[in-house]
Amino acid sequence: MIRTTAVPRPARIGAALVGVAGIVTLAGCAGGTTTDSAPAPAATTAPSSSTGTGATGTDSGSSSGGGAYADGTYSASGQYATPESVETIEVTLTLADDVITDVEVTGDPQARESQEYQSRFIGGIADEVVGKSIDDISVTRVAGSSLTSGGFTQAVDAIKADAAA
Amino acid sequence: MSTATTSSVWRFDAIGTSWAIETAAPLPAEVRDEVAGIVARFDRDWSRFRADSRVAALASGEAASIPLPEDADAMLSLYGELDAATGGAVNPLIGDALARLGYDARPSLVAAGAPVPAPRWRDVLQWDASTLRLSAPATIDVGALGKGRLVDLVLAVVEPAAGGDVVVDASGDLAVRGVPARVGLEHPYDARRAIGVATVRDGALCASAINRRAWGDGLHHVLDARTGAPVRAWAATWALAPTAMRADALATALFFDGGPELAADWGAHWVRMATDGRVQWSPGFDGEVFS
Repeated sequence: MIRTTAVPRPARIGAALVGVAGIVTLAGCAGGTTTDSAPAPAATTAPSSSTGTGATGTDSGSSSGGGAYADGTYSASGQYATPESVETIEVTLTLADDVITDVEVTGDPQARESQEYQSRFIGGIADEVVGKSIDDISVTRVAGSSLTSGGFTQAVDAIKADAAA
Repeated sequence: MSTATTSSVWRFDAIGTSWAIETAAPLPAEVRDEVAGIVARFDRDWSRFRADSRVAALASGEAASIPLPEDADAMLSLYGELDAATGGAVNPLIGDALARLGYDARPSLVAAGAPVPAPRWRDVLQWDASTLRLSAPATIDVGALGKGRLVDLVLAVVEPAAGGDVVVDASGDLAVRGVPARVGLEHPYDARRAIGVATVRDGALCASAINRRAWGDGLHHVLDARTGAPVRAWAATWALAPTAMRADALATALFFDGGPELAADWGAHWVRMATDGRVQWSPGFDGEVFS
């Protein structure tokens, strides 16, 4: 589940999530090699321009041994400047088996520009998109990132083998 | 929603991914041969993963110019629109930046160093009616829209032969004729789930996401040409357009500021998911988003 208390949530908040998103980008990626490391503090991926960044990782006692990231809850906060204001957001992620199971975004974006942008070019925003099982939605096919074949797959497999050795 | 009447599926691997062509009846051998020929030509012209391709000759400096490949003008012209819309984030000379991060011809999947921006392609790359030339060696990578272009080329051969319902699905990029296709939008962090559904009617849907062509430590194949670094804000994009090349191009642009404006210019619909799990969609998008 993904909750947010940010109202409204302008499109440009995405840019402010760069630092925190660094964690997310890695989740589920093939080839992670940081098995069994401590929870990666979000501060290490926070944007250099942010101030007051504080990150905490609270490992909830993971039972997954093979994931690239320890299960747990990760939080970070930061500020960023827009042409009109200084925005503050806080993001909390929960990871389980390298999958994000919960995201909470808290903030109070001020910039009017963002709201205008949203209304003209963006039809809607959903805060919580966990999704539905593909088995339950009656589709004839699925579109996501391209499946990889040949050399790429072999190279990823080689990296995994090296990491496990 | 009626169900697809296609009953024959031809599967093959091409340009590094899985393809499936669905038709009511099996395609004749000569049509399959023609498709294979188109794929082979496209790969020989544009693959930066093989040493004997046209773009490899330009990248190595072995050639400063090449005879203009068939699809060059269509693709590079659209790159011009992507470049303008995204403020330079999309650039057909991104190949060396990808290779530097490990997505090279082998691929090694080991970064050689910090990201480097792509060259200013309009200064380096020129083409006219017969020739494509580079003023300095650089690696052309048409990944922002090339697969969509190839889907269009394949569909153009298959559709007349199939004489009815057709789906050309190049794994993430697909074009549909006849019976509409109901397509799940794969969750970028959990391939067992979909974040929504789009219906494709006599058009194309292309998807892009950072989860599969990824190789650890935050490295994946969607780079910002201005920095040469992987994008961080968006995890997955989907775009609907009359042609797969446009849908593919838009799916790339949606990783950057300016993507939604470009979609509005083209009258195209889209969905995109941020790396924090939030989802946006275009005004009037008539599919579903599970929120």
